[in-house]
Amino acid sequence: MNDKDKILIIGAGIAGMEASLLLAKAGKSVLLVEKSPITGGNTIKNEDSFPNLECSTCMIAPIQQDILQNPDIDVMTLSEVKDVEGEAGDFNVTIDKKARYVSLTDCIGCGMCYEPCPVTLKNEWEENLTEKKAIYVPCEGSLPNVPAIDPDHCLNISGKKECNACAEACVFGAIDFSEKNSEVQVNVKAIIVATGFDLFDAGKLSNLGYGKFPGVYTSMEFERLFASNGPTSGQLLLRDGEKSPESVAIINCVGREELGYCSGICCMDSFKYSHFIKSKLPEAKVYNIYSDLCMPKKTYQNFYKRIKDEGGNFIFQSSPQQVNIKESGGKIKVNLAEGNGAPESLSVDMVILENAMVPTKESEELGGILGIELDSKGFFLTRNENVGTVETSRPGIFVVGCAEGPKDMQNSVIQAEAAVGRALSLNKIKGKVKE
Amino acid sequence: MSAKIGVYICECGPNIADNIEIDAIIDTLPSLEAFQNEELVVKRFKLLCSNEGKEYLEREIRENEYSHLVVAACSPRDHDSTFINICKKTNLNPYLYKMVNIREQCAWMIPDKEKATRKAIQYIRGAIGRVLKQSELFEKELDSNPDVLVIGGGISGIETALSLAGEKRKVYLVEKSAELGGKAAKFKKLLPRQGGSSDIIGKKIEEVIKDENIDIFTETELESAVGFFGNFEISLNCSRDDRSETEFTVGAIVAATGFELTDAAKLSQYKYKKDNEVYTSLEIEDMIKSEGKVTLRSGKEPESVGLIHCVGREEKGYCSQICCNYMLKLASFLRKQSDSIEIKDFYRDLCLPHQQDQDFFEEVRGGGTEFIRTADVKIKGTHIEYTEIDKKKNEADVDMVILSPAMEAGKGTENLAELLNIPLSETGFFKEEHQQLNPVETSIEGIFITGACRGPAGISESMLQAQAASGKIAARLIPGKKIVPEVKVSEILEDFCVGCQTCMEICPYGAIIFDGERGVCVVNEAVCRGCGNCAGSCPSGAIRAKHFTSPQIYREIIEAIR
Repeated sequence: MNDKDKILIIGAGIAGMEASLLLAKAGKSVLLVEKSPITGGNTIKNEDSFPNLECSTCMIAPIQQDILQNPDIDVMTLSEVKDVEGEAGDFNVTIDKKARYVSLTDCIGCGMCYEPCPVTLKNEWEENLTEKKAIYVPCEGSLPNVPAIDPDHCLNISGKKECNACAEACVFGAIDFSEKNSEVQVNVKAIIVATGFDLFDAGKLSNLGYGKFPGVYTSMEFERLFASNGPTSGQLLLRDGEKSPESVAIINCVGREELGYCSGICCMDSFKYSHFIKSKLPEAKVYNIYSDLCMPKKTYQNFYKRIKDEGGNFIFQSSPQQVNIKESGGKIKVNLAEGNGAPESLSVDMVILENAMVPTKESEELGGILGIELDSKGFFLTRNENVGTVETSRPGIFVVGCAEGPKDMQNSVIQAEAAVGRALSLNKIKGKVKE
Repeated sequence: MSAKIGVYICECGPNIADNIEIDAIIDTLPSLEAFQNEELVVKRFKLLCSNEGKEYLEREIRENEYSHLVVAACSPRDHDSTFINICKKTNLNPYLYKMVNIREQCAWMIPDKEKATRKAIQYIRGAIGRVLKQSELFEKELDSNPDVLVIGGGISGIETALSLAGEKRKVYLVEKSAELGGKAAKFKKLLPRQGGSSDIIGKKIEEVIKDENIDIFTETELESAVGFFGNFEISLNCSRDDRSETEFTVGAIVAATGFELTDAAKLSQYKYKKDNEVYTSLEIEDMIKSEGKVTLRSGKEPESVGLIHCVGREEKGYCSQICCNYMLKLASFLRKQSDSIEIKDFYRDLCLPHQQDQDFFEEVRGGGTEFIRTADVKIKGTHIEYTEIDKKKNEADVDMVILSPAMEAGKGTENLAELLNIPLSETGFFKEEHQQLNPVETSIEGIFITGACRGPAGISESMLQAQAASGKIAARLIPGKKIVPEVKVSEILEDFCVGCQTCMEICPYGAIIFDGERGVCVVNEAVCRGCGNCAGSCPSGAIRAKHFTSPQIYREIIEAIR
């Protein structure tokens, strides 16, 4: 590869960002395409990360900042790959770039434009636990710290009304309602897919009561509830916005049986939640209902010990399918299966469902666009005749992070670095595969 | 000569201008007594980070020929690098510049305009005081050697060597035993999701031997490694007499020294000794590789086998993460060997963290292996006593017991850690620089750890880690390119150093050495990363962290609180 060869990275989560920075360090030019308006992926939704309970923002924000300031990395937000032609060393890629309607160079992120906007919407990024305006950043601390406008709901752009409220509030003239979506063509030598994961729809399991009882939360909802830049500024409040839970049951393995795999990180997440609750509500009772404790790294079992010492109660159930959740007298009743020394039922204020990691909803379509195969679970397949690889079924295209299957931050970063190594020695690989 | 300091205040649109009396600052600063001997030029601009603002500032620095620069604007997190880059374009050394945050820390914090203005003045005064004490620093380029030393000839070391070796990069592959391949070479079959083939390691060994850019040293160990990223001087201890060249320079080192199984004989609950029908997982692997089947010591095939997970897990304090899969593989092999064999699998928690693992588990369970969840297992020979998860006591007799002992760091790990000056984790494995963000590099820049020596890992993971280390090396150690070490390093004022060596113990990077002849400590600037811990620890105040010296910090504080 030549010095200024361009490499495309899809997805600006931790894996995509690590790969971008490392390639830029190697002197390559990087095009980082991200479908959302901000970088950071799922990792920036966490307040602290396991097992050391390090502040995630403190870990990730400098990386996000480096990405945005690096002259060799072109970050293209609100963009998706639509077509890929060619072969390793010479891919022609078409990218759909949606209009942001706010200039990334002129906006300084002062936030004066939100308040005047008359349109209020649910904030999906915050798991709908709070609201946003039609001109918004998903949360405080978003990077790039520049809002985007939702064109479907903005009165001006959608043509419903002549509204200029945000543009009038912006003294930098950064808002441009006339910006158009565009199509970008680019030639790249290699592609690294780092599109991350979604979470299993907990509403599919009727016995767990998600969507039916307000006290039942998904793991991501709880993660945002605890986050200091989240909907409650980190206060652990139930949906009424007033009461804190006095007792919480965490249910692991939600979706594991239905999907046929263990996500490998939820146990650690559940330990973290137990610690979070105890740290803010020391009197609260926490029950951790599990079927197998999966804590596969050299430091992970120590974290479990710590949580047990903090008073986490661990209750074995062979599957969440045995658990039945009902509401009774203002409390949530968690009915458990008999035997194994478990109590018959628990009466709690809050239930957190540790729902499994699943392929993103766009995976199948993206797989078709990239011409790469999926595995039987819907994640991107690595060449399975070749153990220990980040190469996909199409030479020159690599897959890293949770797009390849559920994993923790450490393994995502390892794969990202591995893909950089492979991409940098592409000539060597190409020689083997196809010249 | 008195200093000429440019002080530029950014209005940040209304963000700063509306909440701070910028003109009051412009009037106040030059009249301050503290700076009467200096020439102060204080100006405001509407948006310094805009293209127009950047051009303006660059022009101002050139025209006024400032000796120092202070920019009062937003958070340095947003724009420190913007202004550093402007300094670099002009002749102003960026270490004679300082940014002050009067937006987040003054304008946005304090509703009272007068108070906000007062605080901003204090901050800017502090910064002016500080820059006057700052000194120029210059980045230096160093030549680097692109070659790499890989210690350990197992799957991870081999994969590293193959990933990195090329026309312009030589790899020295050092293995203490006589053969390449390590533990992975023992396995006849891998997991179904890994293609199940045994040939992966064999093929890779052939490739390594054929590759003329890989220099293989078997029966060899590291004797010493001295230096820093880009330039490590290596000396090997080779017991073979056909190798004479055992000293050379490399730019990076990869430790891939693998694991050993914990000694089951030391765990009293298993009464393991080598003369009964109790085997460890690797003994069975040897048996399969050499005999093609699993047999008792009599040569007869067992009719019933008990598989025991988590041997030593409690004692070691961690889960070895590959044994559950490993036991499934063994159960699957035994089932293929005999339709009628009775297999009982005694486990505690199933750790199957890959998305294809559970399918394999279902397949093995469907094939007739009995899985028994236990809280506790003891064996007396082939008599198994166990407590089930509901506390029910039970027992079973089998022909053969197979233990899956925990993985632990190989015997030489501690010694190698000392030679390389890299830390160990509390579990005895090598420790990574950062568990999540820098998982295959150590606290010593340029020294990497891959495979099971950094924690339990299977073959796939070991290979991926090897590729990750290769990626990090290939990206930063580019043949023909120079490297630029950190300039904000520590320096020792030798007149004050009494040679107590406190700093050497504190330094996490091994950047300080003791010069016995002169009785003083010396900083290796190429290794130092400028954390400043040594400066804080020095009892005689002999260490100075460049750009964070006591006079700089004191002057900033004095001016800010004056």
